[in-house]
Amino acid sequence: MKKIFCLLLALVLLLSLFAGCRKTEGENSELRLALVVAGKFGDRSFYDSSKEGVDRLAKELGVRVTTIECNNQSHDSQMKNAADKADVVVCVGWEFGNIKTIAPLYPDVKWIWIDNATEEPIPNVLNITYAQNQGSYLAGYIAASLSKTGVVGAVGGENQDVINDFIVGYKQGAKAARADVKVVTNYSNSYDDPAKGKECALALADQKADVIFQIASAAGAGVFEACEERGIYAIGVDSDQKYIKPDTIICSMKKEVGSSIYDAVKALLEGDASKWGSTWVADMSNGYVGIGYGEEGSVQQVPDELKAAVEEVAAKIISGEIKVDTTR
Amino acid sequence: MNGSKDIFSTIFSAGTFQMMLRSATPVALAAIGGSMTEHAGIMNIGMEGMILMGAFFGVLGSFLAQSAFAGLALALLVGILAGLFFALLVVRYKSDEFIIGCALNTFAIGLTTYLARNYFPGDASGNPNLPELNLAFLDRIPGLRVINHQSVLVYLTWIIVILAWLFVYKTPYGFWLRASGEKPDTLRTAGISPKKMKWIASVLCGILCALAGAHLSLGQLQGTFTDNMSNSRGFIAFACVIFAAAHPGKAYLAALMFGFFEAIGLRLQGFVSSDLTGMIPYLITIVMMVYVVVRKQRRKMKNE
Repeated sequence: MKKIFCLLLALVLLLSLFAGCRKTEGENSELRLALVVAGKFGDRSFYDSSKEGVDRLAKELGVRVTTIECNNQSHDSQMKNAADKADVVVCVGWEFGNIKTIAPLYPDVKWIWIDNATEEPIPNVLNITYAQNQGSYLAGYIAASLSKTGVVGAVGGENQDVINDFIVGYKQGAKAARADVKVVTNYSNSYDDPAKGKECALALADQKADVIFQIASAAGAGVFEACEERGIYAIGVDSDQKYIKPDTIICSMKKEVGSSIYDAVKALLEGDASKWGSTWVADMSNGYVGIGYGEEGSVQQVPDELKAAVEEVAAKIISGEIKVDTTR
Repeated sequence: MNGSKDIFSTIFSAGTFQMMLRSATPVALAAIGGSMTEHAGIMNIGMEGMILMGAFFGVLGSFLAQSAFAGLALALLVGILAGLFFALLVVRYKSDEFIIGCALNTFAIGLTTYLARNYFPGDASGNPNLPELNLAFLDRIPGLRVINHQSVLVYLTWIIVILAWLFVYKTPYGFWLRASGEKPDTLRTAGISPKKMKWIASVLCGILCALAGAHLSLGQLQGTFTDNMSNSRGFIAFACVIFAAAHPGKAYLAALMFGFFEAIGLRLQGFVSSDLTGMIPYLITIVMMVYVVVRKQRRKMKNE
């Protein structure tokens, strides 16, 4: 009796391991797609954006979608798990570096790697990288233009290439709008600790920053709260995050991960696999990176003149007149 | 010269000490809870999971009743249940406490993530949070400003430290609690059940960890829950327990030290690489543990 009870309890504990692990949606298509994210959903930005993209594929094109969250561990085995049962595997996150050895093992599977690129092109891998530095340039431009103290801040999730790519662009954009601006930054060293993110933003606010750009996934929720409490502005990232706190978040640097996945897979369904074996840079010229000001009718802190100026700057970046620094 | 002055004024600003108090509180509460189980002879590494559950159910209660105190109450209830559950397995069924602690942590991540995503009736952010203390006269006294404008649980923790110290060292219950860990047979001879004391210790630990979680989600944040937001605070609390030899007051000081180094680390990022500053709390852990071992060795040598 005691043993059975213990076993049952152990089973209950074990079951919780599988919570939210794997889900399959959409049925009327031959194409099976697996979305593997390095972290977890629920960040209301990067990973959730990729989820929106594949959800649209399931709904509009009937692709059979499976999602796997790695929870920042066992990226390699999750890639293999996904490839065993799918025709297209989308790996979201710079962490999937071993795709270069795993993808060749599954030659029939079409791979998409988001946010990073293999050094050598692999025939069945499509790398999608984003010109986040360009979008962040605009974010920095807006931040510096609206700053009263002349200090703007950015909270990064971790000191790492992709995150720093946002930051260099942001700094350059801020300096372009206002030469004497001071840019202060720090890193939360965690993507899922909002309390830490909040402390980071408060530390920047103590250094007089009055516009803060968050690049820290779910930890960014704390950045928004800090800005709201201090009565300063925040800038969202990846998705259009204005809806979260419309009075505090003035705009968002959009990195349309979801639509880039959608478009790539849609092209594949229409028989165009020409992109595979190369790196596709989703940037401002093709509309995957830019600034979002929230839904129509939401409160606007960015005046129309500034929006027009930002448009001009964007046009200059697209034409190549402004060269934006990058860490990549 | 100018640079070093900059570093100094950034590090020793009021903000540093405010952050120290804020971020030490959840660690301290969990560490005091862990001291109870430690005294009762249970090595409890399940605090991480208990904190996480407290954080989630705090937000859930706050959302459902639109009141932060209802959230706190729900968190406490779940804390009691978690403590009972832990004691059931560890004390009643004599399972390995280390394994059960690990299981509890994994279970808490799974359960809270699953519930938050699939059954949270609304938005798990921006719910009613605990009020802050606001005494105008404190602002006027230089140096005391840092202890104003903190969430109520920060002050409650001070009271809890004193109560826990009184409980452990000045009441018969505390005496029995310590005996249940150190000399359970002697306690049994005295006619008191060591098991009962272990049950009480587990439940107290559950309650205090739930408070820690509630402070995290309802005190430090505006009623916000995100997956795995406890972010290893339970383990840091465990280090504090060992360092303080389960003395509640010392455990609080150890937690304050962690809070202080975390705050400094964050502010030092402007001057040195964030990879180095991120290591500071963990480096401190190692230094503390070395100190504990050295202290033990010395004592041993003295006795010999």
